[in-house]
Amino acid sequence: MIDQLPVFIIVIPLIFAFITPLLGWWKEKLCYPWVLLSLSLSTLCSVFVLNRVINTGTIHYYLGSWTPPWGIEYVIDHLNALMLVIISVTALLVAIYSKKSLEQEIPGKIVYFYTIFLLQVVGFLGIVITGDMFNLYVFLEITSLTGYALIAVGEDGAPLASFRYIIMGTVGACFYLLAVGYLYIATGSLNIADLARLLPNIYSSKVILVAFAFFFVGIAIKMALFPLHVWLPDAYTRAPSAASALIAPLMTKVSVYVMIRIMFTVFKPSFTIDMLPIADIMVWLGIFAIIAGAVMALAQTDFKRMLCYIVIAEIGYMVGGTGLANSIAIKGVILHILNDAIMTLGLFTVAGIVSYQLRGHKLSDFKDLFKKMPFTMAAFVVTALSIIGVPPTCGFFSKWYLIQGAVTVHCWAFVAALLFSSLVNIILFFRIFEIGYGFHEPGEVHVHGGEKAFIMEAPMTMLIPTIITALCIILIGIYNQLIITNIIRFAVPEL
Amino acid sequence: MFDFIISKYNYWFYIILMMIGFYAMIGKRNLVKKIIGMNIFQTAIILFYVSIACKKGAATLPILEHAHGHGEHAIEVSSYLNPLPHVLMLTAIVVMVATLGVALAIVIKIYRRYGTLEEDEIIEAMR
Amino acid sequence: MRILSIIVVIITGMALAYGTLDMPDWGDPDSPANTHVSPYYILNTLKDTATPNMVTSLLADYRGYDTFGETTVIFSAGMACILLLRRKRKK
Repeated sequence: MIDQLPVFIIVIPLIFAFITPLLGWWKEKLCYPWVLLSLSLSTLCSVFVLNRVINTGTIHYYLGSWTPPWGIEYVIDHLNALMLVIISVTALLVAIYSKKSLEQEIPGKIVYFYTIFLLQVVGFLGIVITGDMFNLYVFLEITSLTGYALIAVGEDGAPLASFRYIIMGTVGACFYLLAVGYLYIATGSLNIADLARLLPNIYSSKVILVAFAFFFVGIAIKMALFPLHVWLPDAYTRAPSAASALIAPLMTKVSVYVMIRIMFTVFKPSFTIDMLPIADIMVWLGIFAIIAGAVMALAQTDFKRMLCYIVIAEIGYMVGGTGLANSIAIKGVILHILNDAIMTLGLFTVAGIVSYQLRGHKLSDFKDLFKKMPFTMAAFVVTALSIIGVPPTCGFFSKWYLIQGAVTVHCWAFVAALLFSSLVNIILFFRIFEIGYGFHEPGEVHVHGGEKAFIMEAPMTMLIPTIITALCIILIGIYNQLIITNIIRFAVPEL
Repeated sequence: MFDFIISKYNYWFYIILMMIGFYAMIGKRNLVKKIIGMNIFQTAIILFYVSIACKKGAATLPILEHAHGHGEHAIEVSSYLNPLPHVLMLTAIVVMVATLGVALAIVIKIYRRYGTLEEDEIIEAMR
Repeated sequence: MRILSIIVVIITGMALAYGTLDMPDWGDPDSPANTHVSPYYILNTLKDTATPNMVTSLLADYRGYDTFGETTVIFSAGMACILLLRRKRKK
């Protein structure tokens, strides 16, 4: 039984997803506990797998007992196991959070929403656990298709935003498929470990160079790297709160994981760092993404849209950090994947709560909110401090590693961009704190006398995941050294 | 020189087809034309993969004949096509059709709401 | 906007064509794709899976997991269409 744990992580949500529509026809109220049950089981399995990987090393699981490269295999090393835990815990928290917000935003379609929700989680888990390139494409398409559907049931401009996401996302996935085809023509194999063995002989071939370029562009589209980010703000702003709380923390981070896999496991660092100038290009792309994300976030009047541009800037951190190509920076990047998933989850859950109570998510809706929703706003303050990078929240530590990595290779432009981004984040969030505390118009506070003492805190199912997320931000910050020495240190490729 | 072109011209055909589809996806304004471009792009990728499987000479379909019963004939690898790209493309065709279905469902939703399928008119109507 | 699209398309096309210069010829029986992994499938399909059709044995046995993912894709596309298009009948 213990040997089959890797498969249970994927198969349990999948079987539960197939049964959810039938359950919904019979009794609609049962869908919510059913989803929670399946995601809790999956979380348990992924925690056990992480434990096993820490104790015994990389797990190889042959599907159907066919040995690779003739069959498909799962390869779970430390990076994979960490990503599995991140994905399943985030999905569980969003599932707990989603009940009330779905009842308000899309009544009558809850059963099918939960089915597609579970299928998207299966897609994310399948991408990070597999060891075969074409299998990754299949699960990438599961993730994308369910993402398009989840976004399109949102508010007014959502179908058009989702359609633009379809066009750009399909271009990205097709570029990925083309690149896998080019690799197959040149080597004849689809297995990641086998490709890593065969490719060093043909690094000077033009086919491999073009394949790497198309991998990078395809994954950059999925990752929303500037300037291919145009699908992200509209799509995440108009989506329903539960959908954006699921997709925003995970989709871009899983694409960063795929990029790290392709750059360091399939193509060894001797190709990507030494033979190509890709490292410098990535650092400059990261710098542009950070600056563009920060500047565009300043110009927004809509809270959720501002969060989307913050996500784009965070992707700039990760891509630039990978381009720096030394082990401290890559440790910072992997720690930042963990931190950014939790921070983005915190931000989007707060946005969802505000949208639930006030039916809108403009910045001006935040007036006097700190008095009306003290717990939610406390969690929001913790998350905002983490994005700015204040110790002991986790955001400080990953920024610290990235800055250390940049200083080691004397890349001062990247350090300047990181500090600029922290500065802009301070301005952004303190603007919200100002509006929230009602410092702006002191005269108006006394006008609506009866409303002043009216506390309209979020419902419990929406509040608890937000508070758990804020606690995780502080805990991960305090225990980050533990995480780095036990897990991340082994996940860094040798450079 | 001609040898070079004759031996690789199939790849260039597929690339031209892919680029026609790609241009339709990003250059056209009508939503249905974009979906048709997406279809052409993905079909060209499928043709590209299937052409990898071809073997010149007496290669035939990857199905063994007279396999059950009377004795084992020696199986000659070069007389059967490579089955792996065909299998990958069966999956890719299914994924293509599924994406087409979801894209058309979203287009129906847009049409019910705005009454038009031109992208600039929809953006005007959203202001 | 049209000019930008045409430029992007031409650059992508030329990059792809540049990659084909090193590719094996069309129909080469000694290309890496035809000699590395697939001879095992052709030689052992009857022994391992008792199926004379190699594509079937690959689809359902050796790479059955891909087929599993494919059925999940179809199912999620179907559910997505119901989620998007279903209208409540007003009673």
